[in-house]
Amino acid sequence: MGSKYPRSLRCCLPLWAFGLQVTFILLFYFLIGQDPIQADHKFMAIYQVIQDLTLVAALGFGFLSSSFRRHGWSSVAFSFFMLALGVQGTILLDYFLNWVLDWNMIKNPFSPFLSIQRATISTLPLLISAGAVLGKVNLVQLAVMVLVEAMTFGAIRVADKKVFRIEDHIIMMYGHVFGAYFGLTVAWWLSKSLPRRRHENAQTEKVQMTTSSSLFAMLGTLFLWIFWPSINSALLEGTKKKNAVFNTYYALAVSTVTATSMSALSHPKGKINMVHIHNAVLAGGVAVGAPSCLISSPWIAMVLGLTAGLISIWGAKCPQVCLSDLLLNPSGIHYTFGLPGLLGALTYYCLHIIAESRPSNLWIVTQTITDVGALSFAMAMGMVTGLLTGCLLSVKVWRAPHAVKYFDDQAFWEFPHLAVEF
Amino acid sequence: MARIPRHRRLVLPLLCLLFQGATSLLFAIFVRYNHETDAALWHWGNHSNVDNEFYFRYPSFQDVHVMVFVGFGFLMVFLQRYGFSSVGFTFLVATFTLQWATLLQGFLHSFHGGHIHIGVESLINADFCAGAVLISFGAVLGKTGPAQLLLMALLEAVLFSVNEFILLSLLGVRDAGGSMTIHTFGAYFGLFLSRVLYRSQLEKSRHRQTSVYNSDLFAMIGTIFLWVFWPSFNSAPTALGDGQHRTVVNTYYSLTASTLSTFALSALVSGDGRLDMVHIQNAALAGGVVVGTASEMMLTPFGALAAGFLAGTVSTLGYKFFTPILESRFKLQDTCGVHNLHGMPGLLGAILGVLVAALATHEAYGDGLQTVFPLIAKGQRSATSQAMYQLFGMFVTLVFASVGGSLGGLLLKLPFLDSPPDSQCFEDQVYWEVPGEQEAETQRPLRTEEPDTQA
Repeated sequence: MGSKYPRSLRCCLPLWAFGLQVTFILLFYFLIGQDPIQADHKFMAIYQVIQDLTLVAALGFGFLSSSFRRHGWSSVAFSFFMLALGVQGTILLDYFLNWVLDWNMIKNPFSPFLSIQRATISTLPLLISAGAVLGKVNLVQLAVMVLVEAMTFGAIRVADKKVFRIEDHIIMMYGHVFGAYFGLTVAWWLSKSLPRRRHENAQTEKVQMTTSSSLFAMLGTLFLWIFWPSINSALLEGTKKKNAVFNTYYALAVSTVTATSMSALSHPKGKINMVHIHNAVLAGGVAVGAPSCLISSPWIAMVLGLTAGLISIWGAKCPQVCLSDLLLNPSGIHYTFGLPGLLGALTYYCLHIIAESRPSNLWIVTQTITDVGALSFAMAMGMVTGLLTGCLLSVKVWRAPHAVKYFDDQAFWEFPHLAVEF
Repeated sequence: MARIPRHRRLVLPLLCLLFQGATSLLFAIFVRYNHETDAALWHWGNHSNVDNEFYFRYPSFQDVHVMVFVGFGFLMVFLQRYGFSSVGFTFLVATFTLQWATLLQGFLHSFHGGHIHIGVESLINADFCAGAVLISFGAVLGKTGPAQLLLMALLEAVLFSVNEFILLSLLGVRDAGGSMTIHTFGAYFGLFLSRVLYRSQLEKSRHRQTSVYNSDLFAMIGTIFLWVFWPSFNSAPTALGDGQHRTVVNTYYSLTASTLSTFALSALVSGDGRLDMVHIQNAALAGGVVVGTASEMMLTPFGALAAGFLAGTVSTLGYKFFTPILESRFKLQDTCGVHNLHGMPGLLGAILGVLVAALATHEAYGDGLQTVFPLIAKGQRSATSQAMYQLFGMFVTLVFASVGGSLGGLLLKLPFLDSPPDSQCFEDQVYWEVPGEQEAETQRPLRTEEPDTQA
């Protein structure tokens, strides 16, 4: 590398952000008119779900990843940016896909509210992936990643619905797994292109936490914990919605108790590690997401929460033992969203089979192919497009930050108060 | 304690007790429950409880309430040594204003039979008044004491209520989200107040008029709360049904567009392409301000995106270039940059309302014209004359805000009111007991094992 000064984004970022926003405005102008909006009796219910989702995305995920002492600003603000960009992009993508695949727009008039709701849920995988790469990429690279990932997830949703005939709710829950492995693959590729010694040196000092940054991260955790029942029940109605809300509460409560106690158990002197608490308490909500509407007894949700909490704590300890490059990632999204998501998908499959009375062998085989196929497809697409995106983001044109500038806000932000204290 | 002026101990308690006593007395004389709140009145006639207004308006009230106390409060904690005052004085000023505004708006809007009748809508409207007062607080942040702020709230609430009454009731102006009545009024009242209270020696406190890393993160909490709940703010007073639905959609799109344009401009206008956290904290919210007036109208999703994009651009450029000009040429110290976030986007919003009102047709609105533009639907006005009234409303607001702010500034200069000296602005210790300085300790990296706690 020639220079160690932060690379200027003065031309790159405004050009990209302006270009995208102007493009979106024009596309909205031509594609999405103002159809008469009918008085909707579900207005309040849908709107409150949208608010919960937006709080989770902007405040929950934003502050959850702000645990590093020198990277809090970027975590919060870049998540904010990705949400604003992702929602607009996904709405356009949904409209386009509907127009291409369903030549019956008369039957499905464009509903801004439902579209916003789906778009906001669809940005959650983007924010999960961001957790894996934040600190190593600049805002332009994030914008590119958002676009690629939103398109990929849109394609997955269409394929899951058309080919595997999966419900919207399940597709969105698989989005956690997709987002996790997409992000991990991108991060793996980005770290591959660095000399190992330099990479490790870059991280040791800046990934440290202060008491205040841990508290900020805990703020994100608390908001995610509070609103996760809204996420898991967003696309459900009636009894299924109630089941989803109740089961998510049970799972979250159990995973919190499990994570806290196991964190103490894993320490030689029985102390609790804040890093464990940041992520592991959420694992129960992730695990119960897919099967939440099928679970009829609280004990099943609680067992899921217990197992997910155990997986998360084991994962948080593992990087100190394993040497794999894949686990160099400090965000822990593999053990918070990846494995618990898989656990949830497996549970959904089992409950789905059990729920059928006297199933025929053919039906079981068909259902196995459908459920496992959809999940495998989401994971495979996450990894393949993650790899492609990693290659794309490695191109020099994006002016990626130098390795020594990883996890450092100064690369992207003005610090007029640097002389005062930091 | 010898150095502290003796009268400081007395001014704030006396003002608080006096104001609370007066409002309590006025509530006792005038305020009653309305027909949807009163037990006897509600159950007279065969109502279903589900039809009570509470269930339609309370969610919006909750959201607006959170914006006032958490959103505005935390948005202003960016100063490094003024966090206690920002959140604490917001709490004080807002709680007083809510009581005072209930009375003022009650006299003007729901006074009949010798009484003011209140319900959940009264709470929402009082929160709007508190929002305007907090916007003005942003212009004088760091330079006023709590007693001064209470008097500012006292005067501003009166003028806000009268201005609101003139625009909405006498002129028939449509301004659901308050681009004019709340944002423009609050901004320019505060700016003229700040102009009268200009401190030529403020340089003595310049070193404190900056943020630190963590105070900016705290301020981001306020930004996100405002961003998330702004659709509720704009839709809280609109007609139930399609009007409220449309308002939320338009506000949502506008906010997303202003966020992207803010990030773009922030990188563009800096010397080396870095972002400025002040821009992201404030200008990203300009999209909510700019569509306040027009969001219940048939703005179109494209119109909302374009308006938000423009507002974010204007706001970011204002923070970068216009705030220094305000101070150097107009002697106007705007601590929070309310001119950039509320003032200019508010004016843009008013003009946008003029434009969209002029384009209103029966074909576009159908029967909905009755709720959005009742005077046009009745045939008393044409779309063009409604647009003219909208424009006139903007000018009336500017006059009320500028004259009122100037008078308020003179009022706050009364010598018995305690205010911080030039060398002690932006400092919590003037008014708060601050715990011992432990910042250096909390900033150190966490060690794996604290030596003094080893077993």
